Amino acid sequence: MIDVFPPAFFFFIAAAIIPFLPQGIFRTLVLLFAPLVAGLYIFDLSHGVSSQIELAGLSLELMRVDKLSVVFGLIFCLASFLGNLYALHVRDSVQQIAALAYVGSAVGAVFAGDLVTLFLYWEGAAITSVFLIWARRTQGAYHSGMRYLIMQIASGVILLGGTVLLYRETGSIAFEAMTLSSFPTWLIFIAFGIKCAFPLLHNWVQDAYPAATVTGTVILSSFTTKLAVYALARGFPGTEILIYIGATMTLFPIFYAVIENDLRRVLAYSLNNQLGFMVVGVGVGTELALNGTAAHAVSHILYKSLLFMSVGAVLFRTGTAKATQLGGLYKSMPLTMIFCVIGCASISAFPFFSGFVTKSLILSGAAKEGYYVVWGILLFASACAFHYSGIKIPYFAFFSHDSGLRPKEAPTHMLWAMGITAALCIGVGVFPSVLYSLLPYEISYNAYSTTHVITQLQLLFFSALAFTVLLRAGIYPPMLKAVNLDFDWTYRKLLPTIFGSSASYVTRLWSAITLFGMAKIDRVISGLYRSHGPEGRMARVWPTGAMVLWIAIILTATMIVNFI
Amino acid sequence: MADKMKENPENLPLLGRKLLWLDNKNHVRKLIFGLYVTCALLFLADFFYKKKTYLDLEDIPGFYAVYGFGMCVIFVLCARALRSIVARDVTYYGSKDVQAEEYPEEGLSRETLND
Repeated sequence: MIDVFPPAFFFFIAAAIIPFLPQGIFRTLVLLFAPLVAGLYIFDLSHGVSSQIELAGLSLELMRVDKLSVVFGLIFCLASFLGNLYALHVRDSVQQIAALAYVGSAVGAVFAGDLVTLFLYWEGAAITSVFLIWARRTQGAYHSGMRYLIMQIASGVILLGGTVLLYRETGSIAFEAMTLSSFPTWLIFIAFGIKCAFPLLHNWVQDAYPAATVTGTVILSSFTTKLAVYALARGFPGTEILIYIGATMTLFPIFYAVIENDLRRVLAYSLNNQLGFMVVGVGVGTELALNGTAAHAVSHILYKSLLFMSVGAVLFRTGTAKATQLGGLYKSMPLTMIFCVIGCASISAFPFFSGFVTKSLILSGAAKEGYYVVWGILLFASACAFHYSGIKIPYFAFFSHDSGLRPKEAPTHMLWAMGITAALCIGVGVFPSVLYSLLPYEISYNAYSTTHVITQLQLLFFSALAFTVLLRAGIYPPMLKAVNLDFDWTYRKLLPTIFGSSASYVTRLWSAITLFGMAKIDRVISGLYRSHGPEGRMARVWPTGAMVLWIAIILTATMIVNFI
Repeated sequence: MADKMKENPENLPLLGRKLLWLDNKNHVRKLIFGLYVTCALLFLADFFYKKKTYLDLEDIPGFYAVYGFGMCVIFVLCARALRSIVARDVTYYGSKDVQAEEYPEEGLSRETLND
């Protein structure tokens, strides 16, 4: 029996009725109210309740309500509301349905109490989200979507494999904290890792997100990867290897971000870097660090949506998000520029903006446990985040050289979506206690200590100084139209080349073998032909007369022998 | 088009007109000077309060300033080097690849101030 109605179903029901409603006010109401209703419902759920159903002999726990699942559920609903508000101009049913079903899957997954339910929602999120990429309806987007889908489905299949093996080993499918002590838990860990964009498994983010539609990217950026962070926080808290994986994730995408020309791709790299902070928090695994991960996921969803929204608005009005073609837009799109700057201040962790009160929880968590090298790396990544994301995005889009483009300000509903998100970014930064009260563990943390404020300002302003000095000295890499090869080169070029050339070698070898074999067979046949063919010695035609003569001779001989 | 717009700043939204202050090179120079002064003041601030730290390294006055500046410079130099290795033509993955194609017009609403 379902005792507690799963909030994911609000989204599924909304997705199911959307096609039967005319475009316009009715659809708008459904798109905006479904996430709001689901959010209020989640807010009202009493902690500790669970809802189970029996399916094929397995007891599935559709709902597990605790502080960790509630905080992710709430931010998912909020992100869905903001994303749908931003996308109100879209008249494409596919995108409207996909956006709702995708969020429903993500919300369902964070309340899943067992691995089978998690798997079902996990795959649901993969399949529904790809339509936001395909909705661009170009060949490039189709191929990017396919690559995205392969990675996502692979993650789901590995999760299922791990679950089945784990069930055989332990007899349980409960989704609880695990250790990396057996093959099944490793499989589950890798499945989470693919969705969380671990190093070398990360390229689907940078490949697919910039390929989605203007509004699709905003929605995509909030859910899949944060669902994976949630799954890691639930399944593998305190797993030390995550600290090093996370530290690597904060480091290497940023070098690509600084040389990338497409600003949506820059944001995708930066998203990867921010995930690294959360993964480190999960790895450290203390209450402070896990609170940091949850809090940073919340503020990250807000500022990353805001940044994708502002760059999306530029793309919507100008047809490009490439730094080489933009510049000087602050004159005609000043509000979008201001919202973008607020997103940048938040991601860079300026005091009074959301990143400031959440990122520091993770850094403090790492330093308190004595991971000083990791702390140093995170500090480096924070300084650089301001550089490549905080300054680069607004500078190249809105300032820099004047591109001559004078697009109109973003449409009103986009401005509202950006305005509310920006207000939330500032709200979290100014009143962190509201967010802190939602976190999984009790927290007594003062983000606004003199030391923290001054050291953070030093870090950021000197980072800005470095940008200014390098730019004026001409050392800062100019934006270029280019493709920067990343690890996806291995499966987009190297492996196809290896397979292609090995296929051609095998074909050539095969034809050589067949030729050799045919030549041998030919020789055998012609040999047989020579001996047994019409001209062959064995088949020479004897005259009939000789035959009759010989029979007569044999007959005579037989008769003589008989009579004697 | 840019010149045309400069002649008609009244076409710009009110906020945009206010922000034209940034169009003046002297004003930008002032902003940059302001950045230098802020940086100097922030550096000096370290001498006037007691830091609460986890590491001895953090106690060095100006540690965060030097770290922020130095690391960013190293970061950009490394990124430049990386570009020389990984940058390829836009059509490297094919002319129909998503990185080479234009965003389809039907998903856009190109409106300019001249409309």
